[in-house]
Amino acid sequence: MTALARTRVATGMAFRDQVRRPLVLILIVVVPAYVITRSVAETLATPRRIGLPDGVYVTATMQELHGAGMGGVVVAFVAALLGVFVMQSALEGDRRLIVAGFHPGETVLARLLVLLSGTALVVAVSAVVTALNFDAASWAPLIASLLLLGLIYAAIGALAGALLDKLAATYLMLFLVMTDIGVVQTPMFHETPGRLAVLLPGYGPSRVMYDGAFSSTFHASAELLLSLAWTAALAVALVILLRRAVGDRG
Amino acid sequence: MLSAALPTTGAFVREHLRAPLTLALLVAIPTFFVLIFASVLGDFAEALGGTLMSQSATAISAGWAAAFLSGTLAFFQVSSSRGADRRLAAAGLGPWRVAAARIAAALAIGITVSGVAFLTLWLRSGIGHPLHAAVAILSFAVIYIGLGALIGAFVKGALEGSLLVLLLFSVDAFTSPEMTSSSVFAWTPTRSAAEVLIAAGGGHGSPSADWLGMAAVPVGSLAVALAAFWTAARARS
Repeated sequence: MTALARTRVATGMAFRDQVRRPLVLILIVVVPAYVITRSVAETLATPRRIGLPDGVYVTATMQELHGAGMGGVVVAFVAALLGVFVMQSALEGDRRLIVAGFHPGETVLARLLVLLSGTALVVAVSAVVTALNFDAASWAPLIASLLLLGLIYAAIGALAGALLDKLAATYLMLFLVMTDIGVVQTPMFHETPGRLAVLLPGYGPSRVMYDGAFSSTFHASAELLLSLAWTAALAVALVILLRRAVGDRG
Repeated sequence: MLSAALPTTGAFVREHLRAPLTLALLVAIPTFFVLIFASVLGDFAEALGGTLMSQSATAISAGWAAAFLSGTLAFFQVSSSRGADRRLAAAGLGPWRVAAARIAAALAIGITVSGVAFLTLWLRSGIGHPLHAAVAILSFAVIYIGLGALIGAFVKGALEGSLLVLLLFSVDAFTSPEMTSSSVFAWTPTRSAAEVLIAAGGGHGSPSADWLGMAAVPVGSLAVALAAFWTAARARS
């Protein structure tokens, strides 16, 4: 069997593994739909002044802030959990494929495609539900930031899934997302993020997200670059770790 | 029954705590949850049209920390231990003793988590009615042990189960008393416990209806958890 054929087989099996569990797909749609819609519906339109990148200040409402930001919180949560459990499945099942003659790179690629597809699905659902509840000033940066948040947290989740047991990885991911995106980066609680916020992975995408939500002019080039750097660094770390983990166990 | 179940309970607790990071997270998360969320939950409640004041907000964060950690743990206990539990039951322990040992292990960890959350709350901002608050925080943990175990009984996959626990937690967070002005989904399992905890945080007592509700729901939750653990441990014919 050629490398391409083996990769196809591994990818097909990895996707079938997910399709056999339709509840995952249902929840990837239901969780963002419920959380975004409910949070916007519940929130009052209390005015709030917020700082965007480049020292720009705008006055929004708390309801608009939930509309703009809750998609990012949900995408990060779901992508992080996807990362944890896709990685756990890979570590449990893929070593058999290695024993059967597959190359670690082929099984890694298959799992990464599943992770990317799941992340793309939750980003798409969140973007659609956000659009039904909120009118962004500029959609391109907002959608790009959702995708970056998804990729960054999917990779962090996968790294946690490889290094920790599933209970510890789940605790860590939910706590990290809640703290980073839900508290530290959100302008609901601070006009601009605090000094140390830049150290967290959600800083760049969150700044891009709120800039797109409330400004038709793009001010977040540096934050976009920072997000891309996080994404690239985590992707490299993930591929190296996954190849090593699957290969070693084989 | 007790002499057989006790060592098994200890083994079940060790099973979850053998990874040092899990133990560290069980202590660190309630502490940070209370410290970080206490400072922002008042703003969050105000944004939702609720009336939660700062000290009450600190108190409810302790309940949520205990709930979230205990619910996730109970889910994983049921979903990932089916095979081992069936073998234990078949080897002579029986499904009831396995279920009792699982519940005792979940409660032991739930009490630890609740204790950490309670202590953090007490040290950070003081509690008007410490005993009320301690019972209410523990109720959150016990209620979520039942809910997590129930999800684990029906859902085998770790991803879908943890997403369901997350969804449930979100419903609770948006429906907590005084967090919202809306009456849609006005009742959730932790509502009475939240009422007592919020009152205790603000230094007030609670009416007997809230105490009754807070006693009934955890008892029901434990019954549900027992049924879920028993179902997971019994032999399939």
